[in-house]
Amino acid sequence: MATSREFHYRLPRRSGGWRPGSHPGSSLGAGQEFVSHVSLYDRPDPRRLDLRASLREVRGDWLVRVNRQRVSVPVHVIADVSTSMSFGFPRSKLQVVADFVIALGHSAFRVGDALGMLAFDDRERRDLFVPALVSRGIGEVMASMLAGCAGTAGASDGLEEAALHLAGRPGLVFIASDFHWPLDRLDEVLDLLTHAYVVPLVVWDPAEAQPPKHDGLVPLRDVESGGRSTLWVRPSMRARWHDAVGRRRAELNALFSARGIRPFYITGEFDSEALSHYFFEATA
Amino acid sequence: MSSSLAFEHPWVLILLPLALLPLLRSRRDTLAFPSIAWLPPDRVGRIIGWLWPVFAVLALASSIVALAQPGRPQTQVQRTGTGAEILVLLDRSRSMDDRMLPANWREIEPTKLLYHLGRGSQKAQVARQLLSQFVARRPDDRFALMYFSNRPLSVVPFTQHDAVMQAGIAAGAVGRGLADTEVGRALIAAIAQFDQRAYSGSRIMLLVSDGGAHLDEETMQRIRAGLVRNRIALYWIYLRSYNSASLDSTDARWENAPEMALHRFFQTLQTPYRVYQAEDPESLSRAVADVGLQQNLPLDFMEQIPRQDYSRVFLAIAAFSCAILLLYRSMLIRSLP
Repeated sequence: MATSREFHYRLPRRSGGWRPGSHPGSSLGAGQEFVSHVSLYDRPDPRRLDLRASLREVRGDWLVRVNRQRVSVPVHVIADVSTSMSFGFPRSKLQVVADFVIALGHSAFRVGDALGMLAFDDRERRDLFVPALVSRGIGEVMASMLAGCAGTAGASDGLEEAALHLAGRPGLVFIASDFHWPLDRLDEVLDLLTHAYVVPLVVWDPAEAQPPKHDGLVPLRDVESGGRSTLWVRPSMRARWHDAVGRRRAELNALFSARGIRPFYITGEFDSEALSHYFFEATA
Repeated sequence: MSSSLAFEHPWVLILLPLALLPLLRSRRDTLAFPSIAWLPPDRVGRIIGWLWPVFAVLALASSIVALAQPGRPQTQVQRTGTGAEILVLLDRSRSMDDRMLPANWREIEPTKLLYHLGRGSQKAQVARQLLSQFVARRPDDRFALMYFSNRPLSVVPFTQHDAVMQAGIAAGAVGRGLADTEVGRALIAAIAQFDQRAYSGSRIMLLVSDGGAHLDEETMQRIRAGLVRNRIALYWIYLRSYNSASLDSTDARWENAPEMALHRFFQTLQTPYRVYQAEDPESLSRAVADVGLQQNLPLDFMEQIPRQDYSRVFLAIAAFSCAILLLYRSMLIRSLP
């Protein structure tokens, strides 16, 4: 099951790094991507001697091809484990994130990337920290950690604390959250992660993104704040519900697209195909 | 009129704090939602969310109050009427079930009189009908009703409530007449009704009967003394049967008739006495109308207002609140997806 759900990802831009992998890198080495010709004396690597180029060379130097090495990047998941993430029918949003982490574990191991995890609710959750490891089963381990945890109310402070660990480091960072917290500090968090390629995973449950199908009264309790509110679901209310969800989506889109980031929305089940498409579109 | 409230079982009110239970917010009656903040505000929903605990409290509180049986305690009220105190003493004997002569009986051949007699209406029925009209026409009077036959039957004590009186009169139609006509005992019992009552206006005893009785000396004494003591005017509506004594006749054969004896005794009373002899329904109604014209003096009396129970009102409130709660419950959505 897990193997069928893995997805393909490539970073659309070059990253530094020395460990060989599959993402476009900036270091020179064994790779397919040609950079330039260098004199054999500058780079004594006769295996890469380019005879045709050497003949064309006016000065009569022996030229050696220099290629770029593809690199592996550390991949990190910053998972929101706040109470609101445990909402969802029939699978909670946290379980959907766990599904994603399993798929990511397989995908990352396949391309040789190290995978690590950070988690937050209102603070950073040190107990759910997993350092970046290249290990076959790390996805399942992280998923089981996520599935069994209980959080408090979410806040951008927690995200900021977690992001501090990754500040200034290159790599791929997934922020898996429902973003049900004030977004005013999100900009600063993204500032910290400038060097990394950030993919926000906006995980919503259909039950919150779409109003109930039947008309009636819904007494609601906020799982984080405990606040209460009763809604009378009727056609006009449904329209306003859709509007509110659309507004939130637009707000997130505006915030991320200002940095050239496109959020990836997961409503309901995690769809690995869609995430592959997301990366294909980004690298194309 | 006092509007104070008293409880029959005040200790039940100890339960009143239970009515606040719906205000405790339990998690069970809500659905968990990740973030309410992003939902659109709904004023109607908010008002409903506030209202249902109010109705729940109302339902519990009013049920408890209803169990405690609130009510206005029994009181006495001073009332002023302009009429008289009229005690109707109605003959309930078998002879009252006989039929009356038609109005034009004087013109009918004596041989055919019996035929017409068989087709007339019953004396008791006509009397009841006229009395009920009489009572309805005099709303200010206080009435009491007694039936009598071989013993007096007190039906309605003095009251100003016409409905009670009318019901009492109507009750006379139940069953057939009884055996005897004991006027003496009935009069004594009727006079006793006026005993212990403050004299607050003119008093009338309206004896409606079709026969008389020979009274012994002691009974006569008691009646005479009682009428004087209680200052009661006696009106006798004599429903003359076919073939019985006419009170104004001097015929010797009626000399010993009980009606004549009673009439003669009444004439010796020191208190006012009036007799109306009625052979047919028309003359009876004339007699009743005549009595109605007689007494119209102001009248003060105390009236007992019975305890009034308010628990029905509270039960109605509770039922209404429960209905609203049921409606609320039927509109609830139990799960989000």
